[in-house]
This record gives sequence, structure tokens and C-alpha cells, in this order.
Amino acid sequence: MTDGASDVTGDDATCERCGERFPSERLRDLHRGLEHYRDLTDAERAAYEAAYESETEDLQSFRLRALAALVLLYFGFLMTYAVVAL
Amino acid sequence: MLRRLAHSLGAGLGVAAVCGVAVAHGGSLRGASGSSLAVPTWLFLSTGGAVVGASFLLASFVTDRQFVADVHGWRRALPAPRRLLAWAGQALGVAAFVVLVVAGFFGPADPLRNAAIVLVWVAWWAGLVMATYLVGNAWPALDPFRTLTRPLAWVTDGVRDLNADRAAWASTAFLLALVWVEVVSPLADAPRLLAAAALGYLALAAVGVVIVGHDTWFGEVDPVSRLFRAYGAVAPVERTGDGISLRVPAARLTERVVDTSGGVAFVVAVLWGTTYDGLVGTPAWATVARAVVDAGVPPVALYPAALLVGFVAFHQLYWWAARKARETAPTYTDAATLAVRFAPSLLAIAAGYHLAHYLVYFLSLSPALVSAVLAPLDPPTAMRLVLPAWLSGVGVAAVLVGHLLAIWVAHGIAFDELPGRLQAVRSQYALTAVMVFYTMSSMWIVSQPAGSPPFL
Repeated sequence: MTDGASDVTGDDATCERCGERFPSERLRDLHRGLEHYRDLTDAERAAYEAAYESETEDLQSFRLRALAALVLLYFGFLMTYAVVAL
Repeated sequence: MLRRLAHSLGAGLGVAAVCGVAVAHGGSLRGASGSSLAVPTWLFLSTGGAVVGASFLLASFVTDRQFVADVHGWRRALPAPRRLLAWAGQALGVAAFVVLVVAGFFGPADPLRNAAIVLVWVAWWAGLVMATYLVGNAWPALDPFRTLTRPLAWVTDGVRDLNADRAAWASTAFLLALVWVEVVSPLADAPRLLAAAALGYLALAAVGVVIVGHDTWFGEVDPVSRLFRAYGAVAPVERTGDGISLRVPAARLTERVVDTSGGVAFVVAVLWGTTYDGLVGTPAWATVARAVVDAGVPPVALYPAALLVGFVAFHQLYWWAARKARETAPTYTDAATLAVRFAPSLLAIAAGYHLAHYLVYFLSLSPALVSAVLAPLDPPTAMRLVLPAWLSGVGVAAVLVGHLLAIWVAHGIAFDELPGRLQAVRSQYALTAVMVFYTMSSMWIVSQPAGSPPFL
């Protein structure tokens, strides 16, 4: 379900088992762990776990930013309502 | 402070829900009066948009793949005498169709006392559609067009294989045509015309069955069947091979409910249809329409042109989101696959708006429905149920729940489609922006005072 368009740049990686292309090696490793876990070699499983860990770290930082956005949104609206609707 | 905020928001959305009832239909059913908002329009609109944006941020905290899959995959089989239910449904559907035609031609001219009008608009378009997304899709059993054209299936040589994409596009065109007819014609006021339209639709279905076969017509082309199937995908009750099963509401939207780009167009047409229906009742539309007609455009061309232009704009916007999702994720999955996968989430929004628009309408006119059905040819004077004020709050809740479900469903689809968790969250940026735009434009429409569309 992928096409050959080259508008997504980055270090490409291809899954050897199903031929699907991914914009980064981390996504390819994650894909291998999710779709082909039983067939993986020990090295590939280790790569999957490493990719998962590294993604979890990025998710933590994303969550912090999402939380900051929520707090800003909430207080922004609280202040706006205080000014406009009072 | 919080109570004040909640109160203003509630008041604003409550007015929206009430106005929604008013703009939902033409003629005698356009009775509700608008009242002023407690907060300025721009703040009301941005609050609605922010609620959608905030729900996206909240959903992004749920990144446990197994949990998301378990919620959507949960099901419990329910025993049901399907054959008996199907027979009962077919008999009921045909009986209602006969009452519609007889009462339409020979019943009283007062719309609210006529069984044809209340059967179509109150029982079918409000009640049955609500039951379809709240409980489950019973239309395939009830559908009198399907039952009455079945004998034709024995005469004609049966199924013709139609390109699924082209059939879905044809269905989209039919749906837009139905929206146009509903808006420009006095079908909500004229029982004779409505009965004739129902017979006309039966004739259209018969021609369709002869050309493409019974299964293909009702399974692929017929816009009404497709509309009910789409709404039915939001419902908790699902038809399975050997009975029915219970699921988490809207969980089925994470599956391949839509499978072609024509199917995407149909879902967008469902959304745009409800928007257009409200848009033509706003004062802003009346101003634009008068200016355009003064510039020399015939009014006959204005309505279908606006319908098409708006549809193309909504469709382009959705595809822009699908293409953008490729870049923000990033992924090599093509835009068409993403568009097809994410399209069903829009159905939860459509269902939420439908409930907000029609719940009060349905309940307040339900006495008219009962009296018109019990005595189709000479019903007593129509009554309206007086409803408590808090009921408009249910409409507000419906709009919010529809959006929360849509965001959650899109989140689940992204996790199912993409290998990375952060990638799945990032793929939602553009779609969330489109949903925010859609919410704000719909809320703007329902916050406007409702009027009659000009030049009709």
C-alpha cells in the first residue's frame, strides 16, 4: 500500500519481509516488531525494542508539549471569557 | 467562574441546538424562533473549535496499542430471531409505504395532520435515522423499496458487477440530488407532492434494479440504503453472519466501512448535505444569493451550483488533510489509502449533528405522529409536546460526543494503520484542523437566525 513518490525525504528503509517502505529505520524496526515478530532474528528483536524505547522517549516530550498546549488553551479561554462575558 | 463559562457555553450551544431544529426543515416545520447568544459569535465558535482541538490533545495521551485495539475489538453476541425480525420489518415497511401513499393523496392538506408528512419527516428522517446510529441499522429489513422491487429481481437476469468506485460516485451524485430536491421543493409541506415523490423513488429503484440487479442497486448505488448503512456503522448493534452482536459505539468506524475513493466522496456528501441544508436558511446566504442573482445568474442555477461548489470544497479539504497526513506523520502509505481509512470518523460527527438537530423536533412532534398513524385519513388536530428546557442540553452533549467519538476513532485508525505511535499522533494534525473548521462552520450556521431560503 505504498507508492514510489519521493516527496517524503529522509533515510529510507524497506522491510525485507513484505517490501513496504518507511521514511526512517526506526519506523521500519517498529513495523517489523508489530507485523513479523515471530519471524524476527534476535538482532532484529533488539532493534525493535530499541526503536520502541527511543519512540517512548520522544512520546514523553510530546506529552509534555501537549499538556502545555492544553493548559494554555484552558487558561486562555478562561481569561477570554472573564474579559468578554463579565 | 467555571460555572459562568459552562453557563455561557451551554446557553450558546443550546441556542444552536434549538436553531438547528428550525433550519432543519422548510415550511411549517421552520417554526422555532431564534434568540440572542450569551457570548459573542467569535468566542462561541472558537470555544467549539477548541473543544475539538483539546480532545485531540487528550486522545494523544492514550498510546497503548493493545488498549486501543481491545476497546475497538470488544464484542458480545446477542441471540436474535433474524428471519422473524426481517419478515416483521418488511411487513411494517410496506404497510408504512401504503399509508404514506394513501394519506398523501387522500389525507388532510394540513402538513402536521397528514400521515404522509409525519411518517416521512418525523418517523423516518428524524426517528429512524436516530435509531440507526443509536441502536442499529434496521433499514435493510424495513426498506419498502427493497421489498417491493424484489419480484423484479426474479424477472431480470440478476446481479451485474459494477465497479465499486463508480457505483459509490453514482450514489454520491444521487445523494446530492436528493439534498437539492429536499431544499428547493416544498416536500415538507405538500402531502400530495411527497406521495408522488415516494412513488417516483419507487419507479427509480425499479429502473435501477432492472439495469444493475437488485443486490447491486441496494448494496452499492441506492443513496438511501448507503446513507443508513453509513449511519449504522456508528451504532453499537452490528449484524453478523449468525445473528447480531453488541460493540462499543462507533468502534466499527475503525474498520473498513469505506473502501473506495467514491465511498470517501459519499461520506463527505453526507456531511456537506447537512451543512448545506442549514446554510441556505441563514441571512448571510440570503444576502449573497440576492447579490449573485442581481449580477445576472438565474436563481434556478444558483442552488445546484452552490451545492456542487460546496461539495467540491469540502471534498478537496478532506483530501488535502489526507495528503498532509503523509508529510506530518511521515509515511509512504499513499494519500488514497489514508483518505479511505480516516473517512468513517466523519460519520460520528454527522450523527452527532443529526441528533442535535432532530431530537427536540422528533419528541415535540411525536404526538402528531401517533395521532396521524392511528387515524391516517381523519386524524385529530395535531398537538406538540411541550418539552423541558434541559432537553436542548442533550443536543449539546450529542454534538460534543459526536466530535469526541470522531477524534477517538481517527486516533484508533491511525494506530491500526501506522507502525509508530508518535507517527500515528502526528498523522492527525491536518485531520484535526479540518474537524475544527467543520465544527466552527456548522456552529456558525446553527447560531444564525433561521429563515426561508430566497428565490424558492
